[in-house]
Amino acid sequence: MPRDIQHTVSPGVWTLAWRRLWRDRVAMVSLAIVALFLVMMVLSGAGLIAKDWAKEVGVNYAPPTFQGPDVETAASGAAAGGPAAEAAPDQPTELPVQDPLADALAAIRGETKKAPGAESAGTESQNVDPLAEVMADIRAKGTKAEVAEARAPTLPLGGDKWGRDVLKKTIKGSETSIFVGLAAAVVAVFLGTVFGALAGYYGRWLDDFFNWFYSVFTAIPYLLLILAVAAVLQQKGTMTIVLILGLTGWTGVFRLIRGEYLKHKGREYVQAADAIGASNARRMFVHIFPNVSHVVLVQMSILTVAFIKSEVILSFLGFGVPVDVVSWGSMLNEAQNELILGKWWQLAAAGTAMAVLVTAFSLFTDALRDALDPKLK
Amino acid sequence: MSAYIIRRIWQMIPTMLGVIVLVFILFNAVGGDPAYVLAGKISSAEQIANIRRQLGVDQPYYVQLWIFIKQVLTADFGASWSTNEPVSHILATRLGPSLTLLVPWLILSTLISIGLALAVAYVRASLTDRMVMIACTVGLSISILVYIIVFQYVFAYKLGWFPVQGWGDSFWQNLVIYASLPIIILLVVSIAPDLRLYRTFVLDEVNQDYVRTARAKGVSENRIMWVHVLRNASIPIITQVMATVPGLLIGAFLLERFFSIPGIGREVILAVERSDFPVIKAITVYVAAATMIFNLLADLMYKAVDPRVQLK
Amino acid sequence: MIRRAPPAVSAAATCVAGAALVAALAVAPARAADPEKVLHLEFEAAETGFDPCKVQDYYSFVVNEGIFDSLLTYDYLARPAKLVPRAAEALPTVRDQARTYVFKIKKGIYFAADPAFKGRKRELTAEDFVYSIKRFKDPANRSPYESFIEGIAGLEELKKEAEKTGKFDYDRKVDGLQALDRYTLQVKLKDTDYTFAYVMALANFGAVAREVIEAYAEDTNAHPVGTGPYQLKEWVRSSKIILEANPGFRGFVWKFEPGTDPRDKEIVAAMKGKNMPQIGRVEISVIEEQQAAWLAFQNGELDVLHLREQFAPIAIPGNKVNAELAAAGARLDRITDPDLDYTYFNMADPDFGGFAKEKIALRRAIFMSFDNAEYLRVIRKGQAMEAQYPIPPGVVGHDAGYRTSIPYNPELANKLLDYFGYKRGGDGYRSWPDDRPLVWRYSSTPTSRDREFDELWQKSVERIGIRLQVDKNKFPEELKRERACQLLSRSAAWFADYPDGDDFMQLLYGPNTHQNNSACFQLPEWDRIYERTRALPPESPERNQLYRQLWRMAEVNGVWKLHDSRYRNMLVQPQVIGYKKHPILLAEYMYYDLDNTRRRR
Repeated sequence: MPRDIQHTVSPGVWTLAWRRLWRDRVAMVSLAIVALFLVMMVLSGAGLIAKDWAKEVGVNYAPPTFQGPDVETAASGAAAGGPAAEAAPDQPTELPVQDPLADALAAIRGETKKAPGAESAGTESQNVDPLAEVMADIRAKGTKAEVAEARAPTLPLGGDKWGRDVLKKTIKGSETSIFVGLAAAVVAVFLGTVFGALAGYYGRWLDDFFNWFYSVFTAIPYLLLILAVAAVLQQKGTMTIVLILGLTGWTGVFRLIRGEYLKHKGREYVQAADAIGASNARRMFVHIFPNVSHVVLVQMSILTVAFIKSEVILSFLGFGVPVDVVSWGSMLNEAQNELILGKWWQLAAAGTAMAVLVTAFSLFTDALRDALDPKLK
Repeated sequence: MSAYIIRRIWQMIPTMLGVIVLVFILFNAVGGDPAYVLAGKISSAEQIANIRRQLGVDQPYYVQLWIFIKQVLTADFGASWSTNEPVSHILATRLGPSLTLLVPWLILSTLISIGLALAVAYVRASLTDRMVMIACTVGLSISILVYIIVFQYVFAYKLGWFPVQGWGDSFWQNLVIYASLPIIILLVVSIAPDLRLYRTFVLDEVNQDYVRTARAKGVSENRIMWVHVLRNASIPIITQVMATVPGLLIGAFLLERFFSIPGIGREVILAVERSDFPVIKAITVYVAAATMIFNLLADLMYKAVDPRVQLK
Repeated sequence: MIRRAPPAVSAAATCVAGAALVAALAVAPARAADPEKVLHLEFEAAETGFDPCKVQDYYSFVVNEGIFDSLLTYDYLARPAKLVPRAAEALPTVRDQARTYVFKIKKGIYFAADPAFKGRKRELTAEDFVYSIKRFKDPANRSPYESFIEGIAGLEELKKEAEKTGKFDYDRKVDGLQALDRYTLQVKLKDTDYTFAYVMALANFGAVAREVIEAYAEDTNAHPVGTGPYQLKEWVRSSKIILEANPGFRGFVWKFEPGTDPRDKEIVAAMKGKNMPQIGRVEISVIEEQQAAWLAFQNGELDVLHLREQFAPIAIPGNKVNAELAAAGARLDRITDPDLDYTYFNMADPDFGGFAKEKIALRRAIFMSFDNAEYLRVIRKGQAMEAQYPIPPGVVGHDAGYRTSIPYNPELANKLLDYFGYKRGGDGYRSWPDDRPLVWRYSSTPTSRDREFDELWQKSVERIGIRLQVDKNKFPEELKRERACQLLSRSAAWFADYPDGDDFMQLLYGPNTHQNNSACFQLPEWDRIYERTRALPPESPERNQLYRQLWRMAEVNGVWKLHDSRYRNMLVQPQVIGYKKHPILLAEYMYYDLDNTRRRR
């Protein structure tokens, strides 16, 4: 009598896909690169690297270290500074105008610190320049507003116009750009999947409604849609960009998922689920969804890449990240006018980083799609 | 067939209505008030009120909406709020330059991409195939902004092969001299993704049974590729092309901006900056109509090429 | 009755007539403009149109100034800018403490030919100016420059009537604006106004012909017909403008006197005695992208370029043309624009505004944290000069010796804030004295230029622990909220319409709130002193002293932070002869010349 009949469990879709991927060298390299960027993103987000990207550590437009310091620009920069205001302010012009803060300033300068409410009436200076003493005091102490830190003449990947480190900006920028790409993709895929599922599964008037909505949405020129959504949301931060991209990018996913749900609706396993009393919602999301999840995943991947690139265009249009945030889009935008001045490093750094990530991501997406395709032998 | 066409046209109406209402709501909610800019340096509240009256924005919303609908039906959107140029004139004059850029590009891009896709299909799964695909992926991962900046600097300025910017008077001058570099940039940006996509379509066909049958019957590889495969792959390709055409008009705005080409894309950005509603309205409505019509044409062409297709 | 044939003209008479004709032809200026001389210019932004009463943008003015004749204009060479007559015979007679102005118009000025004139030669008369000025008050024109002639008595009534009836009555006689005879124009103002002559030098107030306006009704922007040296030949909107010399122009002889500027002698030597205009054709391209314009100039596609500051470091390092440009013979012509960039606080804001001491201290501290020197060096690339006084150089009333009482001093700013109880929280940011969170909302537009400025403000207020929130809006939105006194802070700019300090000081006048007083600054004491300055003639030392006081009052109350006045760098190709950038004039192309033999390549 046969003992221990080996029960071979058929490998599932995901296991098969993973095996195929593992064998594909290009896919593995791409995945490694993407993982590297993601790690960088997490580290940057946690503040472990590139935290002080905004610090001005170099001279303005510091060249990359391998190129060597730029003596000419420094010299012409100083000369082109022109008749700018001197470091120490001149004595203010004397005028018979009363300064409401005269006594406060005197108190600051003086020994006794008076509370603002307890001013005595007679000490307000009248027809004398109220700040003369304060200014003399400051000049006597030789105060320079900031401790002049030594600014590096070169930086590893160069510096931008303020002297910020391009390498750190690129790393921090990757955090923003990748986050925007991923988050927007999540929003878009979520909307597209829900709409597509509802439309494909229920059919009839719900399908008509969603189709109508889809037609209207795709009929309006994409540029106008972006500008309109941007105007509605105002410019409150990085999340605005995520929403702009997400709220306008769901249409492709919708089409695909709707098609999938239409296809699966009539399949036997769905009828079986109906027979055991599963509700509509359960059927949609517990039974059918796992069978379309590979499409969803691939779409997420595609959209992430697309949105990372779109962020650059949004920055150009002026709807990019706020001023205290850096992204690849904002760097490329700044770099526009720098190339003509011979300052190529910010363009190269952000451009290359983005190209590497997008290439790796795209190649990986291709491999993923091939791996998940059940038609492939 | 005609019943199908009529039904499709009939379905366009609610869509168009949706577009009109959506644009109207969006603009009025967020469009910005042009009266303040038009009013000038020194203006009083009554001057602002006068301008708003002249533009017709002081009327209640439903009146304005009704006027909008009438404008769509008569295809007369009045005049630009900022320059007073009739909107129809704006569109008529700006369409030319945009098309001078886009039509040659579309033709060249499709031909080149299909040609390359077939060529790559010949050597499928080889190292060349892989290399080309990776090159494409790298190509499409560089932002178009980078291409424009670098190409304008290198080819127009440093090497002097093309003018840096501008637009001429005659069609041929525009086509050959001024549109060349922009078209080249467009090609570089579009061939990479198109090639990847068309390669997929072509490979789908190549793996079909009928190709194996043809090979077994002794048909030459060339004939298989260029006659049979191409014919079948052209269906999804055409659909793809037709669907993207309407979006192109506005999509080239970056190039128009950098090369100072007086086209529709640039006009849209100007209109949005100035809150020039008549221009925005007109362009949106026309592009929406074009999108729907092109979708219909794509579906019809689909059926014409492949009789098996059932149009619902 | 047989009509006798008229007597044959005697031979002598013929000779005399012939000689007279030859003499007349010799004396009358030969057609000066050479169609071979084609000038290529560029605009950084699109023009609007060419109806002088309907437009308000710089670029439309550049064209209009060449097509239409205003009564007055400015001497090409004289600095500071000096008024000289253009369509008028001489400067106006000013009476009744600058309440009445009388202009005499030159005889023999004709409009360019146009079908609206039905084949007749149409002479310019005083009535044309009456009509042209009345148009500004017509509600249907919604002219942005209407307020410039608000002071003319009697026009307001016409406008109110037009608003009621829907039609403006151009034929009604107005006491304040009359043609005393065919060539004499009299203007009566409601109040003393010494600046009215300047207004009559604006391109907007060039003369238009009624027949033309009525013939082209809705599309007057595309059909400019004037008496000036140029006419519009071709117009591709927002793209290209082509002007050609007006064959019917009366012409003038170049005879400006050199001033103190050493360049003047060279210009006078090259241009004196020439019949103007020399340039037969002006081709203007609209080039929005900085890079494209700069490259186009280097390729020889442009004759004159307004060099954007981005390229100053490579084009004019050390403020001289670089080696490449010098080798090609290009020159730099540079002036300080009569403009002002400033950042304001909305004085009507419930949180940040008002005259309470702790509020003043907050505003002043924020202003003191901003380093103008860094701004000039990094953002303006050294192509602007710091403004310490609200009236820029070249404008009457400018005070080069004035020194501000609120210089860059973040240390003092921090101490001020500490003193008034703006305590720092755990995150380093300050809150209001009553512990509410403090956020400074600063508005700007989504352009890359504004973004640079945002970055600098961000850095600045970081030094004093103030949290910054940048609100991005389109420019029309910003303007609307600003006019309604709902915008807290913005960096604004003001470009002089005419070279008089009043144009700048009126920006702080209380009653101008909801218009140009962007800070909504209302201080009765300030207004009273300002009104006194209006009654004083421009050059008087008393007015200058009052201006200084006015500005110091605004300074100590923390209303504005002044930034800079920009330099205007014009790069000029070697073939351009006699070029000198004027601070106010825009259509200098009628005053200089081209020498095609000097074009390189």
